[in-house]
Amino acid sequence: MLNYTLRRLLAVVPTLLLLIVVSFYLMRLAPGGPFTSERPLPPAVMQNVLERYGMDEPLHVQLWTYIKNIVCCFDFGPSFSQKDRSVNDVIAQGFPVTLTYGFWSAVFVLVCGVPLGIIAALRHNSFWDYTMTGLAIFSQIFPNFVLAPIMVLLFTLSWGLLPGGGWNGGQWQYVIMPAVALGTSYMAGVARLTRGSMLEVLNAPYIRTARAKGLPERTIILRHALKPALLPTLTYMGPVFVYMITGSVFIDIFFSTGGIGQDFIDGAYARDYSILLGLAVLYAMLTFVLTLLLDLLYAWIDPKVRSQL
Amino acid sequence: MTGADPILSVKNLSIRFRTGDGMVYAVNDVSFDMHAGQRLAIVGESGSGKSQIALSILGLLARNAEVEGAALWKGRDLLAMPAAEINKIRAREIAMIFQDPMSALNPYMTIERQLSEVVELHEGMSRSQGRARALEVMDAVKIPDARARLRAYPHEFSGGMRQRIVIAMALMCRPALILADEPTTALDVTVQAQIMELLAEVQQAMGTAIVLITHDLGVVAGFCEDTLVLYGGRVMETAPTRALFRAPGHPYTRGLLRAVPNINDPSATLAAIPGSPPNQTHPPRACPFAPRCEDAVTACFETLPMLEPHAGTASRRACLRPVEALT
Ligand SMILES: Nc1ncnc2c1ncn2[C@@H]1O[C@H](COP(=O)(O)OP(=O)(O)O)[C@@H](O)[C@H]1O
Ligand SMILES: [Mg+2]
Repeated sequence: MLNYTLRRLLAVVPTLLLLIVVSFYLMRLAPGGPFTSERPLPPAVMQNVLERYGMDEPLHVQLWTYIKNIVCCFDFGPSFSQKDRSVNDVIAQGFPVTLTYGFWSAVFVLVCGVPLGIIAALRHNSFWDYTMTGLAIFSQIFPNFVLAPIMVLLFTLSWGLLPGGGWNGGQWQYVIMPAVALGTSYMAGVARLTRGSMLEVLNAPYIRTARAKGLPERTIILRHALKPALLPTLTYMGPVFVYMITGSVFIDIFFSTGGIGQDFIDGAYARDYSILLGLAVLYAMLTFVLTLLLDLLYAWIDPKVRSQL
Repeated sequence: MTGADPILSVKNLSIRFRTGDGMVYAVNDVSFDMHAGQRLAIVGESGSGKSQIALSILGLLARNAEVEGAALWKGRDLLAMPAAEINKIRAREIAMIFQDPMSALNPYMTIERQLSEVVELHEGMSRSQGRARALEVMDAVKIPDARARLRAYPHEFSGGMRQRIVIAMALMCRPALILADEPTTALDVTVQAQIMELLAEVQQAMGTAIVLITHDLGVVAGFCEDTLVLYGGRVMETAPTRALFRAPGHPYTRGLLRAVPNINDPSATLAAIPGSPPNQTHPPRACPFAPRCEDAVTACFETLPMLEPHAGTASRRACLRPVEALT
């Protein structure tokens, strides 16, 4: 298991390098740059600026410096658009915010989605099942940019229960709406997925064996059916969690939470190469770590997978 | 057969299923008794309703099933029992061995847990007591190196070993009756013989009654003193196994016997019964076997034969034709 983890982590290195090289050249190929504007800067000033950011050198030299700084000091360089701030500063400020509401959003997705799915499966074809499935489909087609304004309309403007935006150090009142708005459609997805796989597992012959033992229904669900029923949900949650964090752009803008989604947008408008590249690398690493964690979790649940590691 | 009261008395059991295409009448008016320590075979082609009989006794039928009749266990009707009551009987008094050991075990739980949970539930044992009992039973079913394999998962065992584990599971509480649903069908021929031998051995040692469900009369011969032949969910014939082999009283039984490979003459061709299984979308109004029967006369297509004793023996058969007239 440890061996496997190390091997997986090592495999990340070449992939990350490739990602950096490709994104680096792609971004430079695109027309425009951080210092292009309506009124061109005087050539002397431009030369000064380019020198300051090392952009006067050939591309491969810039790339080499960039990679060297990351490897030796985990330094993603200065931001091109935000004066006197490094990419590290920007990430250090925005990432904890994104991670916080992303984490609570994932908790919300699992803590609500899984039990809802299980209940619907157990009450198969009853009123509750249909209500649940209907709601799930309804909220799955509800994108967060529709849900968020509705929530603000209700909870902030009508009832005055929750602040309509801001972060305030991550106090819970400020976290709830971003987390729920971000997670609702995934929560519905998880509920539907869990319902389906639970129904399938409950039809498995080994569940009939468990029934033939005289075990009470609760034990059958929790001890015999839950683990296998959760496997598809786990597979689903990996990319979803990454997507919830990378896809938080809208949330950051709508709720002014100040996460990295905001930096991403600002960076894109300003052609801030270093911010964009830094965030891309961050997302990639996040994806690797999360999928690894999920694979380990998968192996922990499924002995067949475990014996193959 | 002994004169003592039966432990299990199945009376006029009928099982039908609601399906999208209407009703399926899977089991029709089946009755039989089981006495302590008795070995009864239920034999019939695939689809004849054998498994559903066993499942109904333990209340494990699919949701779309409707049941009629009674299955009296120590005087109480299992078919009418609430879940909490029948849960106390499952595995503790009546255990089941399923057909396919590949899918009957939970792939996500250790063997130890799957065995010990039975006695933890029914006998209030602790984990360590449960483990001790599991070891004991695994030894009894001759799983080599049992102690080391307690923590293994089902996929780490061969088919034959898995079936031994399933049998061990059925033995955990030393039940009075075991329903063995085609315990060897999914296994290699050589392993089949070993498993039957094992079943006979534990049955002898524990005095458990066994209902052995099979489609293969060959499996029955050395094992069960009584045999019940099922066709289209109806009992065709029931007799002491020896009498059944010597003088089958029903054309269907005769056909089945011709389909048993002859150990003494392996070159003899197997005579499969021509025709296809009966349509079960109506309750039978005539002999379900008539369309495939060589001896059928017009009456066979019009009247439903009742199960009646024949020639003053312990055998009973449901056939309109006199035994002497059968080919
Ligand atoms: N849930 C179900 N719904 C509809 N028909 C069923 C269901 N379960 C079993 N049957 C039908 O009942 C009949 C008897 O099945 P079964 O007892 O499993 O046969 P076997 O003798 O091979 O064990 C078959 O025709 C089968 O199609
Ligand atoms: Mg069957």
